[in-house]
Amino acid sequence: MINLDPFTRRLFFRNSGIALGSAALAPLLREQAGATPAASLLHFPPRARRVIYLCQSGGPAQMDLFDYKPALGKHFDRDLPDSVRNGQRLTTQTSGQNRFPVAPSAFKFKQHGQSGAWVSELMPYTAGIADRLCFVKSVHTDAINHDPAITFLQTGSERPGRPSMGAWLSYGLGSLNQNLPTFVVMTSATKTDGQPLYKRLWGSGFLPSRHQGVRLRGTGAPVLYLDNPPGVSRTTRRQIIDDVNAMNHLRLKEDENPELSTRISQYELAFRMQESVPEITETGDEPARTWKLYGEDARHRGSYAANCLQARRLLERGVRFVQLFHRGWDQHENLPRDHQKQCQDTDQATAGLILDLEERGMLDDTLVIWGGEFGRTAYCQGKLTRENYGRDHHPRCFTMWFAGGGVAAGTTYGATDDFSYNVAANPVHIHDLNATILRLLGIDHLRLTHRFQGRNHRLTDVHGRVINALLA
Amino acid sequence: MAIPFAPLSLSSFALAPITVALSVPVLAAKPVEFAREIRPILSDTCFKCHGVDAAKRKGGLRLDQKEEWFHPRKEGPLVVPGKPQESLVFTRITHSDPDDQMPPREEVRQLTPLEISKIRDWILQGANWQPHWSLVPLRRPALPKNDNASWTLGPIDRYIGQRMVEAGLQPAETADKATLLRRVTLDLTGLPPTLKELDTFLQDSSDHAYERAVDRLLSSPRYGEHLAVDWLDLARYADTDGYQDDEPRTMWRWREWLVNVLNDNMPFDQFTIEQLAGDLLPDATPEQRLATGFLRNNRVNGEGGSIAEEFRVEYIVDRVETVSSVWMGLTTGCARCHDHKYDPVSQDDFYSLFAFFNQTPEPGTYRRNAKPSLKVPTRPDQRRLEEITRDLEQSDDSTRKKLEEERKRLVDRTPETMIMEDSQKRDTFILERGQYDQRGQKVTAGVPRSLPPLPGDAEINRLSLAEWLVDPRHPLTARVTVNRLWQHHFGVGLVKSSEDFGVQGDFPSHPDLLDWLAAELIQLKWDIKALQRLIVTSATYRQSSQPSRVALQIDPENRLLSHAPRLRLSGEVIRDQALFVSGLLVERVGGPSVKPYQPANLWNEIAGPTTSAYAKGYQQDTGDALYRRSLYTFWRRAIPPPGLQIFDGPSREVCISRRERTNTPLQALALLNDTIFIEAARGLGTRMIRNGGENDTARIRHGFQLVTGRHPSPEELTILLRSLKIHQRTYANNRDLAAELIAVGESEPDHNLTASELAAYTAIANTLLNLDETITRP
Repeated sequence: MINLDPFTRRLFFRNSGIALGSAALAPLLREQAGATPAASLLHFPPRARRVIYLCQSGGPAQMDLFDYKPALGKHFDRDLPDSVRNGQRLTTQTSGQNRFPVAPSAFKFKQHGQSGAWVSELMPYTAGIADRLCFVKSVHTDAINHDPAITFLQTGSERPGRPSMGAWLSYGLGSLNQNLPTFVVMTSATKTDGQPLYKRLWGSGFLPSRHQGVRLRGTGAPVLYLDNPPGVSRTTRRQIIDDVNAMNHLRLKEDENPELSTRISQYELAFRMQESVPEITETGDEPARTWKLYGEDARHRGSYAANCLQARRLLERGVRFVQLFHRGWDQHENLPRDHQKQCQDTDQATAGLILDLEERGMLDDTLVIWGGEFGRTAYCQGKLTRENYGRDHHPRCFTMWFAGGGVAAGTTYGATDDFSYNVAANPVHIHDLNATILRLLGIDHLRLTHRFQGRNHRLTDVHGRVINALLA
Repeated sequence: MAIPFAPLSLSSFALAPITVALSVPVLAAKPVEFAREIRPILSDTCFKCHGVDAAKRKGGLRLDQKEEWFHPRKEGPLVVPGKPQESLVFTRITHSDPDDQMPPREEVRQLTPLEISKIRDWILQGANWQPHWSLVPLRRPALPKNDNASWTLGPIDRYIGQRMVEAGLQPAETADKATLLRRVTLDLTGLPPTLKELDTFLQDSSDHAYERAVDRLLSSPRYGEHLAVDWLDLARYADTDGYQDDEPRTMWRWREWLVNVLNDNMPFDQFTIEQLAGDLLPDATPEQRLATGFLRNNRVNGEGGSIAEEFRVEYIVDRVETVSSVWMGLTTGCARCHDHKYDPVSQDDFYSLFAFFNQTPEPGTYRRNAKPSLKVPTRPDQRRLEEITRDLEQSDDSTRKKLEEERKRLVDRTPETMIMEDSQKRDTFILERGQYDQRGQKVTAGVPRSLPPLPGDAEINRLSLAEWLVDPRHPLTARVTVNRLWQHHFGVGLVKSSEDFGVQGDFPSHPDLLDWLAAELIQLKWDIKALQRLIVTSATYRQSSQPSRVALQIDPENRLLSHAPRLRLSGEVIRDQALFVSGLLVERVGGPSVKPYQPANLWNEIAGPTTSAYAKGYQQDTGDALYRRSLYTFWRRAIPPPGLQIFDGPSREVCISRRERTNTPLQALALLNDTIFIEAARGLGTRMIRNGGENDTARIRHGFQLVTGRHPSPEELTILLRSLKIHQRTYANNRDLAAELIAVGESEPDHNLTASELAAYTAIANTLLNLDETITRP
């Protein structure tokens, strides 16, 4: 039933005589039904089967991390030339400034690995895996405010109501397992104040709600309502589920209602999840090597590092799409200090995750994506010194990177001008990135569609082209 | 089906189409209906380049209008009735040269062989063109003959019966009385019947017992609270602004207005006018102005750095889309950037609608509530204020002081509600590609040209727009409205895509019934309760939900309604029912939103304490506020109430006209473990022990009947009794466990009951509340 052609898909559902459209989290049950994603049904041979998306919410500053711009140094505190800004819209946070003084990065850059990728001193661990990464320096997006921009990054639309990428993949590819959701989301605790997130970022939009991301929480029960209440033991819970199902079975004998048989299975699955989900978060079985790779922070549930580790554990258990959100990259002021904190929270575990996946032979068919909703301006917001500055939102160019299945490792694609203000070569729009991500998973972005309000919608709306240079 | 092949020359078919075309039986005997079968194909495969959108039209050809089809063209006629081979449309879709074949090969959506053969048959049968069904002026169709003699037939049943007969189906028997009462009580009030109501109904063998029950339910104040939920989804009602920091706002007074007027049975035309233009009515009352809060329920952005005009435009776009969808079932959103691809809505039309909502002095970026706004005391407060005014005249000083204080308190607690006001005249321009700063041609307020015009003499403003929507000549409003009511009672509308009556939407399952109901609604002077009464007293509605074998085979989706649908209850009703049967429900119409139980730390994990409003995270209420009906739950758009979300509640970010009904393990976990359902189980367990009788059997029967409305079968009773014994043993042997279980929730357990006994009954009640039957409308 994993079928990318909505027409055939509808036919299948109709012919199967099962109300799958109303069986949420049915992907969980697909294996039982004997239906697994068959590569032959994909549009292309897939290069990756699963995805970890490390979303850096708030907008990391590309010129302080990856987009090395030595020329900025010469322009310190001089106004950004009008020819560079070229009338581009600003947020009202800086549109009232009478000057746009250039702020060179306070951080040192070096080339790393055989590929010679430039990485700043803020990201020593990421620098160490540079040869495994494919940097895209010329990403650009449409929106300049957080809410529309991150909604656009995750759903291909600035406005709510569209499915997130993970939901599209759940819809298109189905599940790889029977005890866990297809699409899992984690948010991490941050040291700096972060931009809020919204449930729509992992929502299913107009797709059936079973495709939405299930959040694995950093505190309390890992999945909402997973734990039995005080006073109900696992034996009592088993008894109650047995009774509920026995009585539902009696009804089923009378009226063969497919919804009823689905409900019976869902209660069984709920019971299994009570065991399988805590296993993911109980990391006592991890070898010492793990903590070396991810850092000691990974022992603290709810941290970014712990979430990176959970991501690998989820993948091992057949979860297809893991979405991490780390907030706190929005430095309109004190950027050097706070970006440093952000990097301390994320750098080691990010690199550790890539190495860990590689050591376990999982990197070949796992796509890892790193990036935020936009970049930051070369000019300073607020007071400027050599050591301290702030930067405003910048949608015109920013850096993202990819690693793993099918990705051209050790390469850099696209370039920006001397101010990291405009794309100078090979622009890559978010829709292009999304088209390319789908391509790596074996999907033609033009053909993964869902009819809603009279139109066949896609993740890439009516845009997007595959960037072949990013493919290995 | 033995249907002969139609005589047909295949000589000009390209090779591929021949093989595929031959593999499809030619249903020449069956008339092809253009509106139902052909237009959807053309729309899906051709309109993108040959439709409404003038900018993208190829070869100067449009296929969405009749004139073009039969207009002489130099390449030859598009269609020659009876002669596919001479019809350009047909020769192009079957052309042997891939460069000339339509649709172009790079299009993902190609014609299927079945679709090609349908187009061929349609031409063979005379190429009879029909306009799109939903835009055809409304007429009251003649009632079908009564040829389904097994039924007591009202008008609805004649239409439903006719299609059933055509399909070879028979209606199901009438549902038993207990089922019927549970069904109609849940549908009209969102709560199950009480055992007393059930007994009264079962014992009433008079002719109109059912109709009397329906009338009782329609006049219950619970009716408005239940019906309001559908409208809150459409109105994208929430208690926060929905962008960035998602700050709280105060719009609950509008919600209370909604519940009140639904209970008043305000006619739908007035309901429309007041919400869209109450402020423009002559001598508008405060409540009429308040009603326009409907239009201010959209998301608003207070993010630092936002450009005000950009977001002001977004709000108006949202209003145009919401109004078009709610009243006309039109998806106008695409016309924001370009002419609609499928439906006759041009970009010009879109901004003409935009102009109606562009005259309000609303800021572009703001947090919480912004002007224009209004303070309207709630109805009880208003009554009291009037009493105070009266009493003040005849009071001594000390009473006067007390009354003044009370008046101040009532005035102070009256919230400010955002409303509409046309006091800032603005010019409206087409916005190129929908961008707020790309102004094109200037437009004036007006309605889409494919629909009837506004009356010539009226001043053109929101009021004339609202009146135009409810003009009996409007082809869409009544159809869309009755369809949503049908959806409320049958789970699926006669038009399945209740939000889309456009060319790409679904064709009605019973077009004549839809038109008849729409005409009837207008004749009933838009009396919604009367229309619902008509629906729920029909034989169609009263059928048993037991499908026949034949029905399962030939109509698995039950579009022909040969039995009643079984529908999983909404999250709101599931929770409210649990509170109701456990005796915990606190019923009080209206008031500010409440914050019932929610898993700890949920808000902070996702959004952090970004603004002062959320500095302390979710501040759960205590006492009565924990047990109010779910429609009063505080709705934070970024993180909607998790218990309702799990049961397919929307996010309330945009207008939604139908919810899904999924079936997931997360639902099982919520029903099994959520604090409110455990506390409700304890309440239900308490009632079983206290009111069920002297022995376990009687008590279990009592609980079972409370949640399902019927008596348990002997098998069911055996299961429950056996498990009760096990639970009794478990909790008697482990009193700490018992004490923990009965301590869940903030209400006090009944200390006169033995803890272990209450815990055992709580476990049984937990079982009962999780039964499929409990959470299903039968």
